[in-house]
Amino acid sequence: MAKQKAAVNAHYRRLSLGQKIARDFSHNKYKYLMILPVLVYLALFCYKPMYGIQIAFKNYKITRGIEKSAWAGMYWFEQFFNDPYFWRLLRNTFLISGLQILFCFPAPILLALMLNEVQHNRFKRTVQTITYMPYFISLVVLCSLVKIYTQQNGLVSEIVAFFGGTKQNWLQDPKYYRLVYILSDIWQSVGWNSIIYLAALSGIDMEQYEAARIDGASRFQQMLHVTLPGLLPTITILFILRMGSILNVGYEKTLLLYQPTTYEVADIFSTYTYRISLGATSGQPQYSLSTAVSLFNTIVNVFFLLLTNFISRRATDSSLF
Amino acid sequence: MKKLLALVLALCLVLTAAAALASADLLSREGVYPLNSDKTITWYSQDSHNIHSDFADWHDSPFHVNLSKQVGVNIEWVLPTTGADGGVFTNTLLSDAGSNIGNLPNIMEAYFMNNANQYLDDEVIWDLTPYLEEYAPAYWAWLHSNPAYDKAMKTDDGRYYAFGFFREDGGWNDSYQGPVVRKDWLEECGLEIPKTISEFENVIRVFKEKYGAVFTSAFSPRFYQMGMSGAFGAYGNVNPDYLYEIRDGKVILAQSTDEYRNWLRWFSGIVKEGLVDTDLQTVDDTNVQQKVETGLSGIAITSMGQMNLWNNHMEAAGNGRPWIGIPYPTNDAGEIYSIFGGSGIGSITGVVTKSADEETMKLCLQVLDYAYSKEGFLFWNYGIEGESWVMSEETGLPAWTDLVAKDTSNDPMIKYNGTTWSGSCIQATNLLYLKNSQASIDANDAWYYLGMGRDTDQLDKVLEVTSGHKWPTGVTFTTEESDELDLYNASLGTYVVEQCTSFLLGNKDVNDDGLWNEFISGLQQYHIDRVLELRQNCYDRYLSR
Repeated sequence: MAKQKAAVNAHYRRLSLGQKIARDFSHNKYKYLMILPVLVYLALFCYKPMYGIQIAFKNYKITRGIEKSAWAGMYWFEQFFNDPYFWRLLRNTFLISGLQILFCFPAPILLALMLNEVQHNRFKRTVQTITYMPYFISLVVLCSLVKIYTQQNGLVSEIVAFFGGTKQNWLQDPKYYRLVYILSDIWQSVGWNSIIYLAALSGIDMEQYEAARIDGASRFQQMLHVTLPGLLPTITILFILRMGSILNVGYEKTLLLYQPTTYEVADIFSTYTYRISLGATSGQPQYSLSTAVSLFNTIVNVFFLLLTNFISRRATDSSLF
Repeated sequence: MKKLLALVLALCLVLTAAAALASADLLSREGVYPLNSDKTITWYSQDSHNIHSDFADWHDSPFHVNLSKQVGVNIEWVLPTTGADGGVFTNTLLSDAGSNIGNLPNIMEAYFMNNANQYLDDEVIWDLTPYLEEYAPAYWAWLHSNPAYDKAMKTDDGRYYAFGFFREDGGWNDSYQGPVVRKDWLEECGLEIPKTISEFENVIRVFKEKYGAVFTSAFSPRFYQMGMSGAFGAYGNVNPDYLYEIRDGKVILAQSTDEYRNWLRWFSGIVKEGLVDTDLQTVDDTNVQQKVETGLSGIAITSMGQMNLWNNHMEAAGNGRPWIGIPYPTNDAGEIYSIFGGSGIGSITGVVTKSADEETMKLCLQVLDYAYSKEGFLFWNYGIEGESWVMSEETGLPAWTDLVAKDTSNDPMIKYNGTTWSGSCIQATNLLYLKNSQASIDANDAWYYLGMGRDTDQLDKVLEVTSGHKWPTGVTFTTEESDELDLYNASLGTYVVEQCTSFLLGNKDVNDDGLWNEFISGLQQYHIDRVLELRQNCYDRYLSR
């Protein structure tokens, strides 16, 4: 048997690359067929647009097209780094993203762990449904709700007043802007994001719990020593992916929630890019400058992705690549 | 030099006034249309001629189909998909200009003015100068009926490139928003309609005491352009589009003047006293409407359309139609510097692109010219006579037939006309009268005529206050200028708006000289001197056209 296998392997090694691919294809043709739409998607929407990156190094005029626009070298990057708002944007983007990682990332893990401990099935399902409902509300509607709740006579003020605080508009105050942002973020996404952890939880071998119980572990100890280690690979992968988008704070939500008086704490790279390109109030959209900003954004993201991946590989053995 | 500029400016204003007084005196082109051409031209319109929501596409829309028949040329319309951002759609179309100019529509209506020079130099659009008089005589006559029109529609070196949007009334409807008040409350409190800013403040104060009501306004659509800064001799409020003011022929940053600081002092003062809606910055039209209907406010700034909506809702709830428009408050000496308004010339224009060969271009000119002829003016504003309108014997002006009058959908007239929003055409004042309620028209009168009434003989003053300090429509930057200005634009706008909003709402104390000087000196970081220098050059060139 082993001899036969070795012979096949030897035969396989003698084949040219083309032959190998053809052979592989004929063996797995349905798998290839299944992956085809994804490959087409990636080629069309992720790789083809990369051609446009050169806009960042050109003085792009829409009517001249990419080829006919003149080269500008690193001009736009220089302009961006010298912009008076550069450091503020960098600080706000990192801060909001950091707060998200600190609070919004662990929230669904906690929810999943708690749900896992719930014995009553109907209650569990009700909680799940209620918590992931807000995910399906359109962001525009959700932000309008947030605006109404945070008005001076809104829900938040009523609750605060009930506990003896003073009523005020919470969204207009730079002190509370980040709090509102993070809390509404958790409210919207905690249920949805917990689904993947719940799925991972169902994959943990029940025998491990039995063994732990026989060893006299309490429920809390079981969670600490069985459930959490079981979740760790999922958490790690998701964490690395999250780090890869550290500068990608969605512009839509900020755009819907920020006001001139909260720019100081709210303005981020993506809203800046929006204002100079699509949202330009007067003058031409600044395609070259906004492409340069986005490219800078991407480079920082890739750096953090690689860094986290490297640390994770060293420390836990689980990594993306 | 300064005096000369002021003189030229004053002259322009007087001449505009003369034109505003006369009703549209247009060239008749009877017998010219239909042209009976078998050619097809393509026509793109960014936001001007969107189809009514009752129709699936332009083939069902009477205006779009009938225009073809009227001019006798097949028109293939290209319109942004419903719900899409018109500006993005335009840019997507324009991005074909570099590689495949044949793909552009022949006629394009969009915002071309700021970068007209580049489009002409790059041969994206036709220089119409040699052809206009011969192929668009009605438009040519219209442009030469008023130097302000002519000036706005050409570049500094005299190249004509566009068919503009003009309001027949001059700038009347450009002042479509301003202060409004609850008349029933005024009467209950025994107050007169406030004229000066002190009286205005007193009304807010009395309403606060008696009804617990505050001053409110939907911030970003209504309040942030002008507010009531005109009463303090200032221009603009905290909108990035209202940064540049023309004062005695000089281009200045509106937010850097002492007059503007006085406006901030007054407003932040009443904010501090709790006389202003604390949610001011986050409320939109819908929130304000709710507040108004529940009696949380009795004095506000809004648009004629919104005021009409408030009245409709209050009437439905059995509270009558209490809201009326009142003039912008003056200073205590009765003087006012500026209000929300404009010159009546729109910034959307129709151009002919190089996708049209010379013959097609000439045909496009004839098609576009129709809107500025006596016959075309009526069609563009009201549709086909006998179908959507008839001449009223009472007023001697067109009036809707039941087809429009009994149609309960939103803005039914846009099914038949092309001038409701903008486009390359002349908007009839009568159309606006037909479209709006009497209270809204009265409100527009109160704002535009500064409370002096329609028969006032001080039209030159009206024009100076409504549009004399505004950056004029149709100024064209050179390609180099617009490249440099675009670069500074975003950050400078953010800085001014952010700082001034903080002063306005009292987050920063405007009376603190240290903070104010910090704001003023901070402007240097944003290249303010260079921006003003570039704009001044550009403005001077515009004046000497």
